[in-house]
Amino acid sequence: MFTAQTFVGLSPEIVAFLFSMVVLMVGVFVPNARGLVAGIAAFGAVATFVTAAVLLLSGFGGEFLGNAYVVDAFALYFKLIVAFSAFFAILAAIRWSGRTGDSPEYLTLILSVAVGAMLLVSMRDLFGLFVAIELATIPSYALVAFDRSRRESPEGGMKYLLTGVMASSILLYGIVLIYGASGSANLADVAETFTGSLSPVALMGLVLLISGFAFKLSAAPFHFWTPDAYQGAPTSAAAFLSVAPKAATFAILLRVLLEGMPDAAPTWTAVMAFLAVLTMFVGNLFALRQRNVRRMLAYSSVAHSGYILGAFAALRGAGVDTAVQAVLIYMAAYAVMNLGAFFVIDLVGEDGKSFNGLFKSRPGVAVCMGIFMAALVGIPPLSGFWGKAWVIFAGVEAASAATYIVVGALVINSVLSVPYYFGIIRNMFFEDPVTGDEGPKGTGLVLFSVYALAVATVVFGFFLGPLSALAERSGLL
Amino acid sequence: MITTITIFFPLLAAIVMGALPRTMDARAVRYTALGLAAVPLLLVLYIYLAHRGDLGAPTLTQDLDWIKSFGIGYRVGLDGLGFGMFFLSALLTLVAVVASWDVRENLKQYFAILFVAEVGMLGVFAAQDLILFYVFFEITLIPMYLLVGVWGDENRRPAAVKFFIYTFLGSTVMLAGFLALGILSGPNFSIEALAGGGLSRGAQVAIAAPILFGLLVKTPAVPLHSWLLDVYVSSPTSTNVVLSGILPKLGTYGLLKVALPLLPQGVEPYLPIIAALGVVNIIYGSFVAFMQPDLKALVAYSSIATLGFILLGAASGNALGINGAVLQQVTHGLYSALLFILVGVIAARTGTRNIRELGGLAASMPWAGALLTIGALAAMGMPGLAVFVSEFMTIMGGYVAFPIAGVLAALGIILSVMYLSYMVRRTVFGPIKRPEYEGVKDAGPVEMAATVPLAFLLVLLFFFPGLLVNVQRPAVELVLAAIGGS
Repeated sequence: MFTAQTFVGLSPEIVAFLFSMVVLMVGVFVPNARGLVAGIAAFGAVATFVTAAVLLLSGFGGEFLGNAYVVDAFALYFKLIVAFSAFFAILAAIRWSGRTGDSPEYLTLILSVAVGAMLLVSMRDLFGLFVAIELATIPSYALVAFDRSRRESPEGGMKYLLTGVMASSILLYGIVLIYGASGSANLADVAETFTGSLSPVALMGLVLLISGFAFKLSAAPFHFWTPDAYQGAPTSAAAFLSVAPKAATFAILLRVLLEGMPDAAPTWTAVMAFLAVLTMFVGNLFALRQRNVRRMLAYSSVAHSGYILGAFAALRGAGVDTAVQAVLIYMAAYAVMNLGAFFVIDLVGEDGKSFNGLFKSRPGVAVCMGIFMAALVGIPPLSGFWGKAWVIFAGVEAASAATYIVVGALVINSVLSVPYYFGIIRNMFFEDPVTGDEGPKGTGLVLFSVYALAVATVVFGFFLGPLSALAERSGLL
Repeated sequence: MITTITIFFPLLAAIVMGALPRTMDARAVRYTALGLAAVPLLLVLYIYLAHRGDLGAPTLTQDLDWIKSFGIGYRVGLDGLGFGMFFLSALLTLVAVVASWDVRENLKQYFAILFVAEVGMLGVFAAQDLILFYVFFEITLIPMYLLVGVWGDENRRPAAVKFFIYTFLGSTVMLAGFLALGILSGPNFSIEALAGGGLSRGAQVAIAAPILFGLLVKTPAVPLHSWLLDVYVSSPTSTNVVLSGILPKLGTYGLLKVALPLLPQGVEPYLPIIAALGVVNIIYGSFVAFMQPDLKALVAYSSIATLGFILLGAASGNALGINGAVLQQVTHGLYSALLFILVGVIAARTGTRNIRELGGLAASMPWAGALLTIGALAAMGMPGLAVFVSEFMTIMGGYVAFPIAGVLAALGIILSVMYLSYMVRRTVFGPIKRPEYEGVKDAGPVEMAATVPLAFLLVLLFFFPGLLVNVQRPAVELVLAAIGGS
């Protein structure tokens, strides 16, 4: 069952796992090795990225572990996103984790989440899927609760844990029902059950499965844990959790729906359209009320989940290819702009007021944050615009009433989101600095990450050609 | 290639401005900006001299694949339809740099942001691809928001936010229309390839609605205009130059370049509405302008009124009207920039913009008074200045298509004579209202340098409208061919 090929297929996960263990061991046996540990962790993320990239470029693919684990361009694409965001999360984490002296454990947890997320996108077996999701989620509870110096952190971790466990049980229940209905947990076999009119058991399984995923993706009405968890988590963890596990969960949801129940598309696209519209509005309307930038970004990530779910609503008829592409491009675009926006908090502060007058005191950081905010709104030619444009592409191509509603909601919500994103820009550019209150300064590495991600956000449009070609190749169909 | 260089040179200029040393004194910063702003203008003048005869279909094009699977490309090129505004964008950016005397803080950043806006403006008038058009269209948005929000007067923050949300709503709705249009016809987003409209009439009508909405918000057509006043009044003078001279034309140019030729049947049912909105702009703008005590607000509303002629001409669907509309875009930009600068000069000298408190400025400010009078005469559409030519063409064209609208638009000219002559009489002529006005200085060399060229061009284009009309006519004929008019 295990062949050399299997190890090649699992090599990104193996690399990340080995590095996470090395980081942990070096932390135990070498005292005061913060710099070394951070360097090893960052190098581990790069090595993982390179491994996945080599597999992708060499056209490697195949099914392993008795058809339960598949390596294809689609999975590798998301592994790249996970490794990419792990790298930046580690860079941004160095100063913070150094302060408490728990650096190795923290970085190990980040790499463990990355391993789980990367395994997840390759799963073709529902139980394997559940194991991988838990592998990605359990370390993330610890990440959220890691900052013992702030009361919000353990509180957020606790809330995240309780809701997360509930979500997992709902998901598992859904998986069991689907297994019961189809007699197999493999997506290929499941697809044969989900044809024609669905049996009550299968339908119930589908509903519970989607609800479980909605929890994990912080889609409304299952989003309520998100602001507390992101507010409590250390910044680098919040940034990482809002991108990597989310990208992987979207990817596996795409795989489950398209490979496991393509014939039931009319049913689940309708559900997705409903979830998408609701999530967009909930995320944006709640974000409008936030004064704390962390909470604001948490609700913003809810809203963006809604936009991406909008692409799921277009997964039928002529829209399928473009909708898959939309998810791929949106996640890449979202990774660069959202990581950057979170990292700025470490440079400036989490209170909206701490951004006042930033343009005068630190113009470079202000311009970067301005770029991230404008990108999150969807101003061209920044990265976020292309994600939204692709969702609209898909919606128009699918050409159903539901997708037109989704497109309309997306347009309205883009405008709705302007006040809170641009509230930050207004504070930075139009207000005068608050004197006397020196916020956190951050390290050179955080600053470097912010600049690098800002550049990536700006030039994203130039790489759309290759990226969309890659996305096309990665497409599931 | 030269088109691309012209569009993106200001981006380089913006980077240079941002990289200037902190210690550099204001004078040197201004001269550097001036030099950088002159380059695109010189390039445009070169293009005019070398290629003015062949600007029918887009020339000097560049066509690179961008997103192949959707037929989206980096397609730029110049045609007669956009050339006038392409020229004006370069010119008015230069004028704005000259007229930036009321910007004192963060000068480098001001110019850098202005240059980023110039990239968007130049790009819109050269884009030959719908997505690229939209990208350039939006690139202007954030710079304008920042220019007003950082350097405007005390009311700047709400004004900037209102401006942004309003126009972003319009353009996002427009984008949905663009994407639907491009995808349903191919997918293909090349403006040239889409000309003539291949879609069914019903689809065209449905797609035209969001696109027209977005363009009319940008213009603005009257019920959608409420963002305009605050932002115009709060802007620094040099931002006004660009804001009134170029930005409204993104909307009207979109009408002429995208809506009419790409959706000829779709736009058709809306044409009477657009013509009616044009007339409403003219009449409503004039009446409201009459009631403004603030000089800047008066000019802003007069600008709304004059934009109405462009809408009327564009809606006429005949050669005369569309040629007039294309020309009016340029002449409106020239005179509104002129008036806004002079209002800025007067306000800076006297300390007030209230018309009732001004008077008799001709005595102490003969040059500024004379130039203000010229600007006002231009805004009235008096013979001798280029606005006459373009307004006359739009009215005639409009009359042929919509007789009642044409007559009402002509009446609008009478209204504009009333409020503009009132404005000139109360500010420039009459008794000197306050003793302190006797000693105020006239427009200095810098102010003259910013305004005299605009006045000169207004006169020049009256006597030789062919300088621009001959360039634009072949392109207008292509539009007419696409819409099947005469």
